[in-house]
Amino acid sequence: MESSSVAAELRGWGRLRLWTLAPLALLAAVVIGFAATGDSLTGLVRGNPPAVDEFDIRRVEFHPGEIRIRVTNPQPEDLTIATVTVDDAIVPYSVDGPETLGRLRSSTIVVPFEWVEGEPIAVGVTSSTGIQTTEEIAAAVETPEASARSFLGYGAIGLLVGVVPVALGLLWLPSLRRAAPEWLAAFMALTGGLLAFLALEALSEALELQALLPGPLGGPGLVLLGASVSYLALTLLSRTLSGGTGGGVSGGLALASLVAIGIGLHNFGEGLAIGSSFALGELALGTFLIIGFMVHNVTEGLGIATPIAEGGRPASVTRLSVLALVAGAPAILGAWLGGFLTSDVLAVVFFAAAAGAALEVVTEVGRYVARKAPGGLTSPYVLGGFLAGVTVMYVTGLIAG
Amino acid sequence: MPKKLSRGQLIAATAPFLAAAPIARVAWPDGAEAAAPSATHFGHNHDHAGQGHAAMIGEAVPSIARSAEIDALLIPPKVLPYRPGRVREYELVAVDKEIEVAKGVRFPAWTYNGTAPGPVIRATEDDLLRIHFANAGSHPHTIHFHGIHPANMDGVFEVVQPGRTFTYEFPAKPYGMHLYHCHATPLKKHIHKGLYGAFIIDPKKPRKPAQELVMVMNGFDTDGDGENNFYAVNGPAFYHARHPITVRRSQTVRIYLANLTEFDLLNSFHLHGDFFRYYPTGSTEQFEYTDTVMLTQGQRGILEIDFANTGVFMFHAHQSEFAELGWMGFFNVVD
Repeated sequence: MESSSVAAELRGWGRLRLWTLAPLALLAAVVIGFAATGDSLTGLVRGNPPAVDEFDIRRVEFHPGEIRIRVTNPQPEDLTIATVTVDDAIVPYSVDGPETLGRLRSSTIVVPFEWVEGEPIAVGVTSSTGIQTTEEIAAAVETPEASARSFLGYGAIGLLVGVVPVALGLLWLPSLRRAAPEWLAAFMALTGGLLAFLALEALSEALELQALLPGPLGGPGLVLLGASVSYLALTLLSRTLSGGTGGGVSGGLALASLVAIGIGLHNFGEGLAIGSSFALGELALGTFLIIGFMVHNVTEGLGIATPIAEGGRPASVTRLSVLALVAGAPAILGAWLGGFLTSDVLAVVFFAAAAGAALEVVTEVGRYVARKAPGGLTSPYVLGGFLAGVTVMYVTGLIAG
Repeated sequence: MPKKLSRGQLIAATAPFLAAAPIARVAWPDGAEAAAPSATHFGHNHDHAGQGHAAMIGEAVPSIARSAEIDALLIPPKVLPYRPGRVREYELVAVDKEIEVAKGVRFPAWTYNGTAPGPVIRATEDDLLRIHFANAGSHPHTIHFHGIHPANMDGVFEVVQPGRTFTYEFPAKPYGMHLYHCHATPLKKHIHKGLYGAFIIDPKKPRKPAQELVMVMNGFDTDGDGENNFYAVNGPAFYHARHPITVRRSQTVRIYLANLTEFDLLNSFHLHGDFFRYYPTGSTEQFEYTDTVMLTQGQRGILEIDFANTGVFMFHAHQSEFAELGWMGFFNVVD
């Protein structure tokens, strides 16, 4: 009796699985059938369009007596490197990696060349079909080798734009603790404002960068994916931190660590951008730019300090240091990666993740303020705080920009 | 009120950054593949000494392998002594053909007889030229000769459709170095695609014997942006830099030079280490003694060099850009 019901259930499962798989199996059959017809169906509407045959020049590095050009094949058909030019002159070269590149494969072209420091230079790569891709570099600057010295240098840059300002901002904690509840609510709203600013900034950066990726890798979908993953991950984390009760509202240290993570993701992207810009000679005004980022990022420390003050519980120096590192240290990591390597895909993903994370924390802060602030979300303190947050980020951003 | 963060939760909070490291390795091809250089081209010096111009010799020159077809373009047909009433016949067929215009670069050319430039047409003054033209290409073409001829032999109005033929017939004159090219529209396209060649008319009183060479200066716009990607004489970039032209010091070197470069206003010829007599258009006895001449499209002339020294001497366009995009070669002067 029992065994027969189990058997019936199994049969039911079998049928269900069959019905689940049927569309996929049929799709496979249709795809195979279509592929078997070759060009005969698409040929009804158009002939075989010629390939674009353009390389993607991903990165140009300058070393003493040598230029290294990283190229990727963005198109479905194979591409062969045939001629390399520097400033419109054909030059001898060698290739690290294959000369004929399949879809999305990369090689590095090594050109012995006595380039001139600080002068504009253009490198061109011509495929075997004669199509030339040219990359113009505003100023040739030696690409830092991965030495202990430059490692330290990028680390210091990351530290200055990430950890230091966040830590300094955290020093507002004692003053915040003494602030009246309305003012605390205002600062919470300010945190929301600055995070909203960061979210938008990161989103626009991610969208801009994805547009530069080779077609098949890019797409706004990649940004949505990155943002969704971080948003949902942070939602989950927030639930865990607030005791796993779905409707719970994070506050105090828990909210502060969420804010720190959101800011940290953003600072990773920022470090990545700064690092690669320095490495590729795009940032000449280094000192001024770093000062700009420092001023810009002090506000982030304030954003982390406010929820702690609001929570009222004491926080140890160790804990605060950890928060400062979570928010600031990613800038160091980003600067290293951006300085020595290159991956535009990763930059897009991180900026998207930063956008998702910041947005999630804005939601958390909003919920918290709605529940805890005197007068709720519509109190003039909250409205003013939020606006102040956005304004402060915009104004200090002018210095970095 | 929020509960306190445990150490474990803080670790979880930092996890995204720790996780970033292995992700970075996957998404980051540079670091992973940086090792082991493979194919080295043109055997460049790894100590990076002496680059560019000077290093462009021998194996270091990026050009195509020796080709009998390209070599043949350098040598004009034999000069025939004047004989009244002689008929000289040539056959030219326009064909679409993919040619190698630089090492590894294929170009869908339109050609006369499969090469760009086309074959050298040569006659003695007053020979009756009969040129049988067949259009086996995919577009309408003509042959327009420079020189003196009737209006209906000018290759402008008598456009030859694909699959059709036309015979150009006229007495060869005046003597000199001339040229021919397609005059179908759009003109720029038909010329830069490769439809041109040298046309020599010898004087009745023969020139003194010499080692004769033909050089047609040309360019190729391989990516269709209206600018040449490669320059050369007689076809592929750097061909005579990779394969120098051997000449004897004891005998005059006579070069029939024409400019059929499209897009650029001018082209030029510069000889290293010596001077030459330059006869503009080659139709008079007047010459200039120089080492550099400048020609617009359609201009041509005859150069006569009596090399003073043996050794390897460079010749190239004195537009440095053209020289470095392929218009450069060497004479190997021997005794």
